[in-house]
Amino acid sequence: MARIALAWELGGEFGHAMACADLARALHARGHTISFMFRELHQLTFLEETSSYDVFQAPVTLHEGHGSPIPASFADILLGCGYDSGRALTGLLGGWLALFQRWKPDLVVVDFGPTALLAARLLGLRRVSYGNGFSIPPRLSPLPAFRFDEPIAPERIAQADARALASANAAIARFGGAPMQHLAQQFETDEDFLATFPELDSYGNRPATGFWGPRADLDAGADVRWPDGPGKRVLVYLKKKLAALDALIGTLAASPHRVAAFIPELEPVRVARLAGARRVVSERPMRLGPLLVQCDLFVSQGSSLCPATLMSGVPQLVFPSQYEQYVTARRVEQAGVGIMLPPDATAAAVAEALERALANPSFTAAAKAFARRYPQYSAPEQERRIVARIEEIVAHPSRWGGLPPPGATPILTPTQGSGATR
Amino acid sequence: MARVLCAWEFGGDLGHVRRLIPIARELRAMGHSIVFAIRDSAYLNGVLTEGFEALLAPLLRVPAAVTVSPLNFSDILLNLGFDDWRGLHGALRAWRSMYALIEPDVLVADYAPTALIAARTVQLKRVTVGTGFSQPRLASPSPALRPWVASDPNVLRAIDDRVLGVVRTALAGISERVPENPAALFEADAHLLCTFAELDPFGARAGVEYVGPQGDAASGVNVDWPAGARARVFAYLKPADARFAAVLGALARADADVIVAAPGLAPEAALAASHATMRVVAAPVNLERILGAASLCVCHSGPGVVARALAAGVPMALLPQHLEQYLVALRMREAGCAELISPDEPPPDFHAWFTRMLRRADLGDAARVRAAALGEYSFAAGTRRAAVRIAAIAQG
Repeated sequence: MARIALAWELGGEFGHAMACADLARALHARGHTISFMFRELHQLTFLEETSSYDVFQAPVTLHEGHGSPIPASFADILLGCGYDSGRALTGLLGGWLALFQRWKPDLVVVDFGPTALLAARLLGLRRVSYGNGFSIPPRLSPLPAFRFDEPIAPERIAQADARALASANAAIARFGGAPMQHLAQQFETDEDFLATFPELDSYGNRPATGFWGPRADLDAGADVRWPDGPGKRVLVYLKKKLAALDALIGTLAASPHRVAAFIPELEPVRVARLAGARRVVSERPMRLGPLLVQCDLFVSQGSSLCPATLMSGVPQLVFPSQYEQYVTARRVEQAGVGIMLPPDATAAAVAEALERALANPSFTAAAKAFARRYPQYSAPEQERRIVARIEEIVAHPSRWGGLPPPGATPILTPTQGSGATR
Repeated sequence: MARVLCAWEFGGDLGHVRRLIPIARELRAMGHSIVFAIRDSAYLNGVLTEGFEALLAPLLRVPAAVTVSPLNFSDILLNLGFDDWRGLHGALRAWRSMYALIEPDVLVADYAPTALIAARTVQLKRVTVGTGFSQPRLASPSPALRPWVASDPNVLRAIDDRVLGVVRTALAGISERVPENPAALFEADAHLLCTFAELDPFGARAGVEYVGPQGDAASGVNVDWPAGARARVFAYLKPADARFAAVLGALARADADVIVAAPGLAPEAALAASHATMRVVAAPVNLERILGAASLCVCHSGPGVVARALAAGVPMALLPQHLEQYLVALRMREAGCAELISPDEPPPDFHAWFTRMLRRADLGDAARVRAAALGEYSFAAGTRRAAVRIAAIAQG
């Protein structure tokens, strides 16, 4: 049985933790030893089944996002997260190396973890990417732009790529590693579990590759049933910081629709406003499978549950709150399977969009048609195939070299003094 | 040989690591192995930690709003993220995983309360190190931080109860060993105060060990006093302090030879501010070389510099920036060897202040008496004492 570390380094709040927990549950059930290396740890309180796993703080910089422009490519994201300086990145990389050398994973599952990938590369560890399109850039040089709402100068993309590469190589050199020729090499893996479909991919320009379909465990979570009544069924997964949340709560509370909602750490006063005879507010993530069998609308900010629920033929109302979600929301609109609203939409706009999404049968028809396009896909089948592929990878020696045998001197300890390499 | 985990969880500047590193070095020389868990990933590059293995400390969520004037140490914990049971739960789990991974014989906690609570749940031996402020007096209720402000014990107790309630919730499903009072949060096999009892911000107390200040005073730029019989003022200032320009201007006009260490100042600004009787250095300086011959030490009342000045018998003009420094400054004023300007009061005429202080012979007399009482204090021996004590606990 293998030691499998799930590393989540960048990106917000709930989707990454939940997706990692879903995959970990399946791997753990197969007898593998699991550790989480997470940028945020408070989500563990929603994931009780993870209590037997090792949990570590992922190396993150305290100065994330300071002074960086709106990103246009993955390199831009890196520059805002420590890759603007070789020195800062050396610290991040050192943290990942120390963690991996101590815990000794047989495989690292990387969910939006560029520096985790870099550390695994340096140590010759088996590694896979696991995420929607946004966190797995196409391995092109330079890493391509993902912005499509405004023209991006190719020079800007190339410059950002070169800067991030220079920092990465400086950090690698500090630990005695060989430099990369292209930033794209940082993302080399044993497998990319690209958990989306081409129509929903953040990168519209990705070369031909394998798509594994959206990730979600629809069978885990709290058992919630649709309340009785004649209203439409609206499933809500949002964050409490969403500006339009109060408008949505007000609209739903005044409507005849039935609601099942999970909004992590929602304040009791707002829970009281939303909850009612036709509206359930869950304190924990819900078991989505039974709810999706009869669901008229999924309301989200564009996390991975948006494509996952779409695959059940459910139309979408999306309030994207950052660029990654914005791209997903645009894809939803392009596919005709839902409506996008700004995160600070007015009460009138929210009410109008909600009614339009529920009243217009074209969204449901398009969503069902979309789901039918991938007849082999189902969330359990996607997970089964990923687990099988992971077990295939760990069954063979690492093609990257791998960690030294137990007892051997670690090959990569930070060298003493500034700038020295060995 | 023992395995020692040195944890730095809170506190912004590098003082914590700079205190831990000499101790770690000493422990390594004694044959023990050291792992660091530190709060800032920028220092996981092996430079600051001198090649010691280092992991990132689990981080709590930063609260959206903090209390500007916390009443007691429990109030400080709330400001640090202890009002959030979910964040605390995750961090406690992560510390426990780290202990299982590293298998330390002892935790050395430098401002690391979550690490302490997690260590308590696995009955890991633990030692706190610090200069007192992060090692609160253990009482119930947790004592007021500002004894000159009237405080209601019931209010203090309510703050304690809030913290204990959050800790209890956070530990649910993790451990039955729940701290039952505020003192239990900080329970340790030893509390090592790397300072003089005279400089304990909460006053000399029982239940702690004053191993004395330590560190690398000899590191830093070498500068020397000019020859002559003029008064000599040494100033250690932070350029970011609002009073910096006024203080520097007053020092420039002082009837004395002046050396200013201002780490963080732009080198060209340091050069521009220097003149015949004042040298401004944009870096730490070698204190051992100049402090003994100084007539006055101007500083922000950081425990390290104050300890150096006290041991050298130099009176002090103190400009504390925050509560910890203010409490230390108060103690020096009580001892009769310092004057202080509170960060809350309007800046005085610094030139007049320095002139008056240089004329006050009683300050120098008191400072020399205090220094004589300390004897020939060895800062290296302070490090050694801390290391020996930690090793004894690890192996005991």
